[in-house]
Amino acid sequence: MKKAIATLVSSVLITCVCANVTAKDRYPERDITNVVVWSAGGGTDVINRMITSEMSPHLDVNINVTNRPGGVAGSLGMSYVHKLKPDGYTLVGLSESVVASAVQGGWKQRMDVWHPFIVGGSPDLISVSSNSKFNTLEDVINAVKANPKSVKASAGGAGSIHHLNLLALANGTEVEFNYIPYPGSAPAQTAVLTGEVDLVITSLAEQQQLIKGGQLKPLAMLVANAQTLEGVDTIPSAFDSFPQLQKHLPIMQAIGFAIKSDAPDSVKNKLTMAFQKAIASEKLRTWAKDNYYVLSGLSGQSASNEFAFLESLFSWTLQDLGATKISPKALGIPKPADLQMN
Amino acid sequence: MDILSSFYVFGGTLASLLSSPINILILVGASFFGIIFGALPGLTATLGVALLTTLTYGMDVNTALIALLGLYVGAIYGGSYPSILINIPGTAAAAATALDGYPLACKGQGGRALGLTTTASLIGTLMGILVLVMAAPWVAKMALQFTSFEFFLLALFGILISGTLTSSDLVIKGWIAGLIGLAIATIGRDPLQFFPRFTFDLPDLDQGLEVVPVLIGAFGIPQVINALRNKESLGAMQDFGRIMPEWSTLFKNRKNITRSSMIGIGIGAVPGIGEDIAGWVSYGAAKNTSKHPETFGSGEPEGIIASETANNACIGGALIPLLTLGIPGSPPAAMLLGALMLHGITPGPMIVVQDPGFLIEVTAILVLCSVAMWFNGMFLAKQVVKVLSIPAPIFLPVVTLMCVLGSYALGLNVFNLYMMVLIGVVAYFLAQMQYPISPLVIGVILGPMADENLRRALMVSEGSLLPFIERPVSILLLLVIALILISKTPLNQKLKDLFFHSFKRLKSK
Repeated sequence: MKKAIATLVSSVLITCVCANVTAKDRYPERDITNVVVWSAGGGTDVINRMITSEMSPHLDVNINVTNRPGGVAGSLGMSYVHKLKPDGYTLVGLSESVVASAVQGGWKQRMDVWHPFIVGGSPDLISVSSNSKFNTLEDVINAVKANPKSVKASAGGAGSIHHLNLLALANGTEVEFNYIPYPGSAPAQTAVLTGEVDLVITSLAEQQQLIKGGQLKPLAMLVANAQTLEGVDTIPSAFDSFPQLQKHLPIMQAIGFAIKSDAPDSVKNKLTMAFQKAIASEKLRTWAKDNYYVLSGLSGQSASNEFAFLESLFSWTLQDLGATKISPKALGIPKPADLQMN
Repeated sequence: MDILSSFYVFGGTLASLLSSPINILILVGASFFGIIFGALPGLTATLGVALLTTLTYGMDVNTALIALLGLYVGAIYGGSYPSILINIPGTAAAAATALDGYPLACKGQGGRALGLTTTASLIGTLMGILVLVMAAPWVAKMALQFTSFEFFLLALFGILISGTLTSSDLVIKGWIAGLIGLAIATIGRDPLQFFPRFTFDLPDLDQGLEVVPVLIGAFGIPQVINALRNKESLGAMQDFGRIMPEWSTLFKNRKNITRSSMIGIGIGAVPGIGEDIAGWVSYGAAKNTSKHPETFGSGEPEGIIASETANNACIGGALIPLLTLGIPGSPPAAMLLGALMLHGITPGPMIVVQDPGFLIEVTAILVLCSVAMWFNGMFLAKQVVKVLSIPAPIFLPVVTLMCVLGSYALGLNVFNLYMMVLIGVVAYFLAQMQYPISPLVIGVILGPMADENLRRALMVSEGSLLPFIERPVSILLLLVIALILISKTPLNQKLKDLFFHSFKRLKSK
C-alpha cells in the first residue's frame, strides 16, 4: 500500500514537473496579444503591426495588436501589461518616449522591468524652409555664433526626442538656439513653412514628403551616415563638418515591443528567434527602406542598455527643463554620465 | 491631370465602389453610426474616427476611407439633433445650431428644422468637396499665412463673436462668460513649459479640464434642472413639420448658403481649428448681414442653415491641407491622418506625383458619404423627432444618464463626472442671471489655443507686439475684432443716435 502511494505520488510529481517543462517548451500554445501604448496609425503602431505579422509564422500562432493609449507617456498600456503574468502571451508595443513616464508621474516602475526588442526608428535631421538663406549646417552655426539666439528652432514638444537632438546639437557645436516649442512634429514642420521659425529637427520619416515636394531644404543628418533621397542631393551627416558631435549624438528613436523581464528564458529565446527572423525578412527591409526607417534588431542586454541610456537622458533633460513630477534621483535613475553599462 | 481624365477617375471610382454590396453596406452603416455618434453628447467625430481606425486595419484603402469619411460626415451632421430637440449640442460644432434650432422645435417645427439642417449639411459638404477639387493648392497656400499671431487672434475672435451673438440682454455678459471660459482653460500644466497652474497638486487637473465634460455639464445640466423645475418636457411636439427639403426656403437662402460654405471651407483649411468655430462665425455673418437680425435667436431658419452648412463645409476645407501638405486642418482630420498612415499612405505634397488619382478618389468617396448622410438623415429625422413626445419623467432620467455616460466614457475617469456636475451647477446659476453659456464653452475649447499661441508668438518675436500690426492677416483680424468691440459699446449707440437725430433735423428743415 505504502509502495503504491509512493509510486502514485512520485508519478504525479514527475508528470507535473514534466508538464511544467513541456508547457514552457511548447510556448506559444495560443495567440499572443501585443498591447501598443500609442494610438492606431502612429509610427509605433504601424511598426508593431508590421513586425508581429512577420513574427507570427515563426511562432505558429497569431499575434493580435490592440491599442491602449493614454495616461502619461504610455503609462496606461504599460501598467496594464505589467500587472499581467510574465508568461509571454502579452507583449507591450512601445517607443523611446515611454521612458519619461516615471519622472512625469505616469507610473512607478523603471525601464528595467521590461525585456525590450528594438525594431528601429527613423533618424533625425535638421532642415530649413526651401527659400531660407541657409544652405549648409555651417551657415546656421556661424549665424548663431555671430548673433547668439538669433536663430529660431523648432523640434516638436519640449522634452521630445527631437528636442533632445536639438539640445545635443547645440551642446556639441557650443551655440544656443532660440527654441520654440510646438505640440508635435507636424506643427513644428508647419512653422518652418510659414516662416515662423528658421529651422526644424524632426525625423526623416516625418519630413520626407515635404523634402521631396520641395517645401523643406535638408541640411544635415544627425546620425553618422549620409542619407540618399530620390530627387534630392545626398544629405550629409552633421558629423562630417562637426566631428565633436559624435560625443553627443546620435539619439535615435527606439520603436519596438517588450515582455516583462521576469519572463522565463525559454519564452525570451523563442521570441528572440522569431524576432531575428522577422527583422531579416525581405518585407520588413523593403518597408523600412521605403519609409526611411533604420532597422536596429537589438534585443536582450544590448536593447536593455539602449533603454537605460534613453531613460537616463530623457529623465534628466526633463528634470533640467522643470518638467518632472518625481525627480529621477528619487527613482534611482543615474545621470547619463554616471551610467554603468553592464 | 486634365479635367477629362479627372472625371474619368471620378466616375470609375464611383462605379467600382458602388458595384460592391459590402461597400454600400459599410457606407450606410458608417454614416448611420456617425450620426448616432454625433447625436450622443460626449461622443465626438474625433473619438469616432479614432475608434474606427483600428477596425479598418484589415480593409483595403478605399473601403477604409468609405468607413472613416462616412463616419466623419455623419458625426458632424448628427450633432445638430440634440441641439435642435433638447438644446444640448451633441458636439461643440453644433452649439450655434441650438440658438435657433431649439426655439423652432419649441414652436412645433422640430421636423422642419431637422429637414433644413439635413439638406444644408449636404449642400455644405458638397461645396467643401467642390473647393477641395478646384482650388486645393491655393487654399493650402492661404492656410500657410497663419502663424502663432494669427492663431491667437482667431481664437480671441471666436470667443468674442460667440459672446456677441448669444447674449440675450447685455453684450458684455457674453464676453464675461467667454472670459470665464478662458480662465477655466488656464487650469493645468501649461503646454509650453509645463508650469502647473491652478492644479492644487491634484494629478487629475494636470492635463487641464477635458472639453467633453465641460460641454455636457454646461449645456446638459441646466437644461435638466430647468425641465425639472418647470415640470415639463424638454421640447414641445405639436406636429412634425415638413422634413423633405423646402426648395423655396433653400433658394431664398442661396446667398447665405454660399457665404456659409466659404466661411466653413476657409476655417476648415486653417490647421488646428475646425467645425467648432465655423458654425459660430457663419451664424454671426448671417445675423449681421440679415435684414431682420432681431429674429435670430427666436427660431430663424436662416440661422440653422448658416451654422449647419458651415460646419459640414469644414470637412472639405480640413482635407485640403491634409492632402496637399500632410497637415490636418481640424481635430478629426488629424485622426484621419493616422488612419491613412496605417494604410501606408503618407499625405503630403508628393501624393499628387506618386498617386495622381488619390485626390479624386477621396472626392468620389466624400460625395458618396454626403449622399448616404442625407438619406440616413431623412430617414432618422422622422423617428428622432418622436423623442420629444416621450413624457418628461421617463425622458429626463435618460438624458441625465446619457450626460453621465458621455462624460465618463472619454477617459473612464470619475473625476470628469465631478467636473461635469460642478460646471453644470455653475452654468445653471449663470444662465439664471441671463449669462449665455456657449461663450463659456467656446472659451474652454479655444482657451488653450489662445494661451499657447500668444505666448509662443511673444517667444518668436522676443517680447515685441509689433508683428501684430505688421502681418496682413493679423491686421485684418485685429480690425474685425476692433469693429465687433466698438459696434457693441454704448458709446457707439449714442454716436449713432446723435448722427441720425442731426440727420433728421436737417431733413425736417
